[in-house]
Order: sequence, then structure tokens, then C-alpha cells
Amino acid sequence: MVEFKIRRYDGEKSYWQSFEVPAKRGMTVLEALYYIKENYDSSLAFRASCRMGICGSCAMKINDKPRLACETQVLTLGNTVKVEPLDNFKVIKDLITEFDGFFEKLKAVKPHLIRKDDNYAEPKELLQTPEELNEYYVFTLCIKCGACYSVCPAAATLDEYLGPAAMTAAYRFCADSRDEGQKERYEIASSPNGVWRCHLAMECSEVCPKNVEPAKAVQLLRRKTAFSMLKSLLGW
Amino acid sequence: MKVYHDIVVVGSGLAGLRAAIAAAEKNRNLSVAIVSKTYLIRCHSVCAEGGINTVLRETDEFDTHAWDTVKGSDFLADQDAVEFFVREVPTEILRLNSWGCPWSRDDSGKIAQRILGGHSSGRTVFAADRTGFHITHTLYERLLTYPNVDKYEEYFVTNLVVEDDTVKGIAAIELKTGELVFFEAKAVILATGGAGRLYGFTSCSHIVTGDGTALAYRAGVPLKDMEFVQFHPTGLVPAGGVLISEACRGEGGYLLNKNGERFMEKYAPEKMELAPRDIVARAIWTEILEGRGFDSDYGPYVALDLTHLGEDRIKERLPLIREASIKFAGIDPVEEPIPVRPTVHYFMGGIHTNSRSETPIKGLYAAGECACVSIHGANRLGGNALAECLVFGRVAGELAAEYALNAKQGKISAEFRQKEEKRIFDDLLGKSGDESPYQIKKELNETMENYFWIFREGDGMLKGVKKIQELKERYKNVEINDKSRDFNTDLTSAIEIGYMLDLAEVVAIGALKRQESRGAHYRLDYPKRDDENWLKHTLAYYTPEGPKFDYKPVSITKWEPVERKY
Amino acid sequence: MGVSGWFRFKGRSLFSWAFTFQRLTGVVLLIYLLAHLTYLSTLLDTTGATYESMIAITVSRQFLIFDILLILCGVFHGVNGFRIILHEFGIAYGYRKPLLAIFIVIAVVVWLYASYIMYSLTGG
Ligand SMILES: Cc1cc2nc3c(=O)[nH]c(=O)nc-3n(C[C@H](O)[C@H](O)[C@H](O)COP(=O)(O)OP(=O)(O)OC[C@H]3O[C@@H](n4cnc5c(N)ncnc54)[C@H](O)[C@@H]3O)c2cc1C
Ligand code: SF4
Ligand code: FES
Repeated sequence: MVEFKIRRYDGEKSYWQSFEVPAKRGMTVLEALYYIKENYDSSLAFRASCRMGICGSCAMKINDKPRLACETQVLTLGNTVKVEPLDNFKVIKDLITEFDGFFEKLKAVKPHLIRKDDNYAEPKELLQTPEELNEYYVFTLCIKCGACYSVCPAAATLDEYLGPAAMTAAYRFCADSRDEGQKERYEIASSPNGVWRCHLAMECSEVCPKNVEPAKAVQLLRRKTAFSMLKSLLGW
Repeated sequence: MKVYHDIVVVGSGLAGLRAAIAAAEKNRNLSVAIVSKTYLIRCHSVCAEGGINTVLRETDEFDTHAWDTVKGSDFLADQDAVEFFVREVPTEILRLNSWGCPWSRDDSGKIAQRILGGHSSGRTVFAADRTGFHITHTLYERLLTYPNVDKYEEYFVTNLVVEDDTVKGIAAIELKTGELVFFEAKAVILATGGAGRLYGFTSCSHIVTGDGTALAYRAGVPLKDMEFVQFHPTGLVPAGGVLISEACRGEGGYLLNKNGERFMEKYAPEKMELAPRDIVARAIWTEILEGRGFDSDYGPYVALDLTHLGEDRIKERLPLIREASIKFAGIDPVEEPIPVRPTVHYFMGGIHTNSRSETPIKGLYAAGECACVSIHGANRLGGNALAECLVFGRVAGELAAEYALNAKQGKISAEFRQKEEKRIFDDLLGKSGDESPYQIKKELNETMENYFWIFREGDGMLKGVKKIQELKERYKNVEINDKSRDFNTDLTSAIEIGYMLDLAEVVAIGALKRQESRGAHYRLDYPKRDDENWLKHTLAYYTPEGPKFDYKPVSITKWEPVERKY
Repeated sequence: MGVSGWFRFKGRSLFSWAFTFQRLTGVVLLIYLLAHLTYLSTLLDTTGATYESMIAITVSRQFLIFDILLILCGVFHGVNGFRIILHEFGIAYGYRKPLLAIFIVIAVVVWLYASYIMYSLTGG
């Protein structure tokens, strides 16, 4: 039996509740949550979908660290497992947090290819060598789980801060050899809520479950943004 | 609350996203809503790994892709639809390319292709082993560029409004507030995915509960070929069926039974572990049935042994599979074999549409796994599902847009709205009863796994049908514990279980009626394909007493059925 | 969330500690700088008497502990700041973990050495 201490919130008050779960080898935290929901208390609310670490729904704080519940084995956590919603997000109910803002920030950085010759009806094959692909590929692996944002001290002090995931998306497109929208994105990145707010605490890279290295992306974006500003200042 | 849109797309998988883009692109003055019970990119399509089939280069031909598809379908696919389909995929791949999809490349920078099971040439395009993930994100990102698309994320659809054979809109619960929102629309596109969760052991996401299929069915659209359920031979056992890809066997992994025998010797002496999916799945299940499987807390399994490959090879060639096995099951394949058994993977059947995504109801379209065009017939080829989502998603979006440009805005009457409020909040949420929805789901899963699994047989299925009908009766008496409104996942789970019960009945009776073995539908009492009597699609119509069945001929253009041999 | 967001260390790595420490030392150094300027402004009293009397307090034995803490702030802020600047220029990002450890060790060593000198200067 493993004790699950869950931080709950019903819209008004927040409290801890404990459940005993018969854990066996192979059980993930997500399965334990389903076990609790289906056997003890069906009002427990959490998000989950793929249960294979790819949809980004189930990030939560497990024993103080943000992790994907579906990727975390219960037996690696000891006899008590503490489960809480992510920090830096507003809690809606139990483990469910408000992600609308997070996705708005993503949208704000124009995370899509920008090309002058965009032709919906008759697309042509744009070439890209494997080396060019590797320039940005790791940054495409972000599943938008929010773990990075939840530990970011800059996001903690400024709600409007774009945050590591959005800036990673911005860099991912700037570094894509098919893209022509760098300038627009550098402008967004150099806004008051952009790259300059990052103080390189680098905790985001520590917690990212997909090893995307968001801190690296922010820092690379910052370098590119700085150069582009410099260029425009010098009138090149 | 009431909102208006010209077109409402339900579902944000590949099919839904593609449909929304197509509709929005067709005319920038049309207002398009995309509604999903999860955030858009948290749909199930992100799980797809292997790839997507297309004829991209001169070395390949549309007709061979079509033939492979038709043969794979065990000749139940509609050949006119298949011929149309294969010609439409290449443009979709190039579009995705120009929208930013990180396709894997060959050295010259062109989009790379590889070979998947059942194809006669290497025509599968892929983005590493996360093809579905990358396509979904690319479509999502593209969707953000259309100002005429409104996203409704975390809205759970509860009803489809149809009057006079014309669609009027949908009803959905806004999860955050628990309020019912009515969407009045000219056209509705359903893209809600499959129904893998009818079974407990599945590679499908938790959200794959067949909602849209059930909604269409209840609204009077027939369901086609629902008895055809595809199994993937290797689902990870402690993890409820998470997919372990074929790559393991490709790299030389062995399948072993309890006695340590490589049992594939008996079933496919030449190809061994690399025989087609259905053969391997049946072989594994036979071993288990005959008592040569292992037992565990998580049910029976056979061993997928990689240990002989050695640590270096596993780490180098199969890093993701090793990672998955450690994370989801706590087992390191370097040290011990991976426990696997066949897992439910895909629903070939679905909402009946013609080869242009249109349902018999005016203004209602369906695309993706929830629809049955049919291009997969009795068995889908790996890599054709994503392609289907793109092609028929696009078609649905474009046709819905054309239709909406000339149609009247649907109206949802106040009476209907009151009835729906009452149905959800008084009759379901407010009611007391003595059944737990989760208990019903558990029994449903067991029933499906006992009687409608890889091997089916008349008597068993009859029992299964009875059990499902009993569960439907019991469902009327469920009680939902969480009485609150905001983010009530207890309520939505219960509604999903209601959808699943309806679909289970259609699958079950359809399977019982089909007295032959074809593709994924394998009957011990009728082990042969019977083209004389059964070369036809099953159509199931909703009635309050249970489904009514009818049949429809298969469209054959070029290829007469022959024996399916690999 | 506000500034309290800087002080959540449970489950966090050393990087979060380094971040918060950098901020705090920054604040301390700022306060010190202001105090320092106020000090220097006493030189306006051309007799130097005020200045002398104030210096007398700060070089006293009792005050040593503050000096040592101040040195800690300065050394840490400088050394850690250097690390951050490196990364900000895109240098050695891949080695961020060992680098953090090394820089913390450097900061501690420099600090101890400086403290020892201070200690000797105030009369050992
Ligand atoms: C593990 C795995 C691997 C696969 N690999 C491949 C592959 O390599 N190649 C291939 O071609 N195919 C593959 N497939 C199949 C393919 O992934 C699916 O068929 C396809 O993704 C289905 O997409 P869809 O758009 O139809 O639906 P989904 O992606 O399932 O999306 C359904 C959408 O509907 C929404 N929805 C459902 N119900 C409601 C409701 N009540 N209210 C509101 N919204 C609702 C959901 O939120 C979701 O957004 C794989 C499948 C699995 C399980
Ligand atoms: S960068 Fe990593 S931690 Fe942040 S949202 Fe993406 S996957 Fe999650
Ligand atoms: S459930 Fe999808 S990431 Fe965990």
C-alpha cells in the first residue's frame, strides 16, 4: 500500500486528502489516480489522455517535482506520494489548472512557418537537409505540458511573461531553414514580456520531461534577437 | 448560452484540424468553430508513431497503393473511394511540409520514405517516430493563422441537433464552468476519433470513447462495419496496452511463451516474428488460450525478448522502446523480456459516409477514425489512417464550407435546450441510483474482451450481447457522486460510458450477424471468407430497442476479390 | 505569485538556489552600494572627522562578520554572474551542470580566502 496525499481544491477551499492505493510493479501515478477515482472518490479531477507521455495533459507536481503522471512509476517514489497541481498556474479544480493563458502566449509568438510564397492550392516540395533539420528538431519535441513554466521564477513574478515553452516555439521556427518570419518574431521576443525577462535560472531545462532544453532555446533566441536589434540600430 | 457559427467542427485530431483549416481557407468570411473535449493538441492523433502512406515519387504508382489498400482491407473497401483517396494524399504531405512539419529527410533534403508492413514499396513518410505528434502540432499551428476560426477547448459535446434530416447544431458542456452551450450552425463536421476504449486493453488514449460516433448514431445516421476492430500484436502489459512498435521485432526480438519456445515457428515458419500483424496477434492469443502464456497481476502475456541483442544494440537502435518500457511498465528490456499481448488499436467502422465525407443528413459530415468511408474495409494498413484523416478531413471541410455558403443558419429551439439541460443536469447528474458508472465500464470492457476479441464464436457472442443489454439497462440507474458543476469529470466519464454502451451493442450484434471471417473479424465457427454472402457493408440504424441492421454492396472498380496472401 | 515564487525550493535543483541567491546578493549589494555612497558623502566634511569615526566602526572586530557576509555576496554575485554571462553568450550551455558546481566551488574558495585575509587584517 502506498499513501497518496493529494492537494484538492473544489472552487472554494483547498485541502489535503489521503488515499491508500495498492501499488504494484508497473503502476504509474496516473493509473493510481484512476484507481482512486474509480474506487474511492470519483469527484477527483485531473487531466489525462494519451497515457504515453506525448499529449502533455498530465503534468503535475509529484513529490514536489513537476512530472508527467503517466510517465512516473509509483514504486520509485517511496511509501508516500504527494500530488499537487502545477505552480504558476491558476488552479481550477483539484489537479486541473488554467492553461488558456499558456496557449495564448504560444499563439503570440507566431509559431508557424511564415513564407511569402505560401501557396495553399499548389504546394511545392521545400527541401531541407538532415543537418538543417537537426538545427531545430529537438525544439519541436515540446508537448506543451507546462512543467517548465511552472518552475520559472520569471513567470512567477510576471504573469505576462511569455515563458520558456512559447519562446522555445518561437526559436524553433526562427531556426527552421524554410522560415522567413524571423524578423517578426524577434520583434515579439524583444517586447517587455519577452527574452529579456529571462534570468537564466535554467530550472525549466531541469524539469522538462521531453528534454527539450527550453533554457537553451530562450538563450539562443535572445542572442538572435540581440543581433537583429543591433543590426537595425546600426542600419545594416 | 447560445453561440453561432457557420461551421462547427467537433474534434481536434488530424481530421478535425484539417477540416477546420479547409473550411476556413475556402472562404475567409465563414466563421468556423472547432470544439474539443481536450485542449486541441491533446487529441489522440499525437500518439501515432509509424508514419503516413503516400505515392510521392515516380518509382511508385497510385494503383499499387490502391491495390495494397484494397487487398489489405480483405476486399471490403470501396474501391472508388480508395482510388480517389490515394491521389489526394501527396498534396497533403507537401502542404504539411510548407506549413512546417519536420518530416524526416534523405541526404538530398527530400522527404524520406520507408516501408511498412503490407505495402509493396517504401511509401511511408514519417517524422522520426512521432509522426502523428508532429502532424497534429503543424496543423494546430497553421490553424492559429486563421482569424475566422474560434477554438472551443475543453467543451464536451453531449448532443447533435438534427431536425427534418438537416443538422442544426450541437450541445456541449463547457467544462470549466459546467454550463451547457448550444452551437447553432449551418454545417457540422464530426471528427471525434475511434472507440478503442470499449476495450480495457488498448493502445488508444483515454479520450477515445467513440462519442461522435454514438451521437451520429442516436441522431439517425447509420453506423457502418463496426464489427471490424484492429488489434496490434504487441501491447505493453502492465501499462494497459501502450503500443510497443514493430521495430523491436524488426531488430530481431523474439516472441517466447512460458516454455521458452519461439512459438512463431508453428504459425509462420518463414517470416517468424515478422509475419503480418493479424497473424502474429492470433498466434500470441492462441498460445495464451492454450495455457502457454505467462500469468501476472495484469493478465496473461507472452515475452518479447530483446535481451540477446545486448545492451549496446538496444540502447543504440531501440532507445525509445526501452524508455517506454521503463517509464510505463518499470521494466528494462536490457535485463528482462518485455511482457506483451495483443492490444486494441483501431476501429475500421464508424459513421456511414459516402466517398465525399457526406452523411445521409444534410449539413452533417464525418471524417477520420469516427467515419467509415470506407477505405480500410475489414482491415486497415498501417499508415493509412493518418492519410485518411488528412484527405477526408479536407474534403469534409471544403464541402461543408460550400454547403454553408448557401444554407440557412440552424436554429436550436428553446424547447430543445430545456430538454437537454434537464437530460444532463436533472436526469443524469441530479439523480440518485445504485450503480457506479465505473463498475459498468469495467464489466463492459471485460465483456468485449471475453467475447469480441481476436477470436469470436457464435455462442460466446450471444452471451456477450445479452450482457451488454443488461449493462445498458443497469446504466439507467447510475449515480454520479460529484454533484458539482465545474470541471465535473465524473459526469463526463458517465456520459462517455453511455456512448460506449450504445456502440458496444452495435459492434456485438454486427459481429454476431456476420457469419464469416474477413480481415480483423475472425470467427472460429466460420473461419473462411464468404464473398458470396458477405461481400457487403453492415449498416446499423438506431432504434430505442437496439440496432436494426441493413447491408450495402461494396463498390468494386478494378479489383475482383482474390485470396489474401502475403 | 510575486516574489515569493523565488523561494520555492522544494523539489527544485541547485539552479533555482543559484538564481535566488543571485537575486538576493544583488539586492544586498545594491543596499551596500547606497550605504557606501552615503559613507563617501561624509567626506564632504573636509575635516575628515565624521569619516574617520565611521571607518573606526567598520574596521572593528565586531563588524568583521558583516564584512565577511558582504564579501560572500560580492564574490558569489560576481562568480555566478560570470557563469550566467557565459551561458547568455551561448557558451558552454551543454556543460551547465558541471559548470554550476565548479563555479560554486570557486565562489566558496575565493570567499574563504578573502575572509581569511580580512580576518588577518583586523588583527588576526
Ligand atoms: C498508438 C497508436 C499508433 C498509431 N500509429 C499510426 C500510424 O503510424 N499511422 C497511421 O496512419 N495511423 C496510426 N494510428 C491511427 C491514428 O492515430 C488514428 O486513427 C487517428 O489519429 C485518428 O484521428 P482522428 O482525427 O480521427 O481522431 P482523434 O485524434 O482521436 O481525435 C478525436 C478528437 O475528438 C474530440 N472529441 C471526442 N469526443 C468528443 C466530445 N464528446 N466532445 C468534444 N470533443 C470530442 C477529442 O477531444 C479529440 O480532439 C495509430 C493509433 C494508435 C492508437
Ligand atoms: S519545453 Fe518541456 S517542460 Fe516546457 S512545455 Fe515543452 S515539454 Fe513541457
Ligand atoms: S496522459 Fe498524455 S502526457 Fe501523460
